[in-house]
Amino acid sequence: MTGCILAIETSCDDTCAAVVTVDGELLSNRIASQGLLHARYGGVVPEVASRRHLEVIDAVTADALEAAGITLADVDTVAVTRGPGLIGALLVGVSSAKALAAARGLPLVPVDHLHGHVVSATLGPDPIEPPYLCLVASGGHTFIGRVEDPAHYTVLGETLDDAAGEAFDKGARLLGLGYPGGPALDRLARTGDAQAFRFPRSAPAELDFSFSGLKTALLYRVRDLGEAEAERRRADLAASFQRAIVDALIARVRQAIVCERLERLAIGGGVAANSELRQAMGDLCDELGVRLWVPPPELCTDNAAMIGAAARFTPALPYPEYLDLDATARLA
Amino acid sequence: MNILGFDTSGPASAACVLRSDGKAFEHEPRPEALTAPPAHARELMPAIAHCLERARLAFADLDVIAVGVGPGAFTGLRIGVSSARALARARETELRTVSSPAALAAGAGEALSLPLIDAGRGEVFAALFEEGEGRWPPFAADPERVAARVRDEGLDPLATGNGAVRFRDVLEAAGIRVAASGSGTHVVRGLSICRLAAAEPATPPEAVLPDYLRLPDAKPR
Ligand SMILES: [Zn+2]
Repeated sequence: MTGCILAIETSCDDTCAAVVTVDGELLSNRIASQGLLHARYGGVVPEVASRRHLEVIDAVTADALEAAGITLADVDTVAVTRGPGLIGALLVGVSSAKALAAARGLPLVPVDHLHGHVVSATLGPDPIEPPYLCLVASGGHTFIGRVEDPAHYTVLGETLDDAAGEAFDKGARLLGLGYPGGPALDRLARTGDAQAFRFPRSAPAELDFSFSGLKTALLYRVRDLGEAEAERRRADLAASFQRAIVDALIARVRQAIVCERLERLAIGGGVAANSELRQAMGDLCDELGVRLWVPPPELCTDNAAMIGAAARFTPALPYPEYLDLDATARLA
Repeated sequence: MNILGFDTSGPASAACVLRSDGKAFEHEPRPEALTAPPAHARELMPAIAHCLERARLAFADLDVIAVGVGPGAFTGLRIGVSSARALARARETELRTVSSPAALAAGAGEALSLPLIDAGRGEVFAALFEEGEGRWPPFAADPERVAARVRDEGLDPLATGNGAVRFRDVLEAAGIRVAASGSGTHVVRGLSICRLAAAEPATPPEAVLPDYLRLPDAKPR
């Protein structure tokens, strides 16, 4: 096996390692999710996440190598997320990746986490080809990117406040669905009437998004209805709330497709697992004659395979140039 | 036996290669690193590579990797421990752990040593060593409480470490001696980590975790 990239991702609350080849073949993709660990805090606690990453990172990395049928001796390049994300969490992955690469004299590729989301559809047997548009929507980020060459992406529009996944989680919390609430809200919404309540579709300038007003609107609506009535109409509230988020995302993507005149679209990020969004995005693409790539859920949520994918298009730093590489919470 | 030892519990990255012929190649932390914000991610690996280079050794030539596991600043400890574990795994090198306050005490050159590592929130991680033997296991407390304990037991230790520098006024007011500012004894030395590691057993890499001494600062809802 030649051209194996070992990729590591620890930017938030999932400890991830994967092996991909330079040709874009996915050999393994391992994720140790911390979801339940943070549930009792009602959100990701950075110190708790960082400790957990350190506890499991070696096992996750070893597991990814084993599942790929290789050993460290077969790895040609190490790739790691350097940001954006939780700094303490990122540093576990960066330190581990640097030391692994250094001890074996291997090159290292520092990867922008968002670049990973943008190129995750380039993996596998049916890779997307540039130029294409990409909607990335997760708990941490929401933006539309344009990809001319997979080494780069241009952000055409992004959220000005909350990310779409954050809006889902906050909405779910207001409806008493616990944390993380996105998937639970998705399930509940299927049994509700999406026309029952009218929530605002905020449309800031250009191709940007804004979701913070939506959460406030839901808060007021729940308050106005009163506890008993809000509980009784929970499915309708969930369906209407979800419809507002999906509508906002679809409207912007429609606008971007028309403006940019591109015929290929990929979606990524945890919100891309939302069933209504997938359906609506499919309908939109059919209507506009655009081909849609929706990676499987394990390539949409945070994962290391996408970091390996981005590493294929990012210059590697030879040993010892990366020894002083630092993680960064925000990328310029 | 070629030993690589390092520590990231404090503000400065410490590293040293102790070669099998007994020669030490140590990265001396800059004194100003004591007061600057820590930069272990930028400093640790270059310091390690530099020690190896001077010792004319490669990672594959190492017999033991030793890491200071704190207590100390959480993020720094994780950088040190994740680096140590990955280095050990990458070359199947033996891994050993060393208590950071023990290493600080070893560098103090006093019979009775009081290593104090800044623990934030107005507290220090304190321990007491007599002739290299631990007398108080590490604990977190405000400097006043540490001083009271020293006085109650009628001791006269020398306090070192960034916690000692930070709370010099409190400690000296309580009659505790603090090593001179700018003294090299306030930082953990890589050479101390190497020397103390000689007496430590090998640990499986995945079992090596920092000695946090404190739970994460988060409350369940
Ligand atoms: Zn992400």
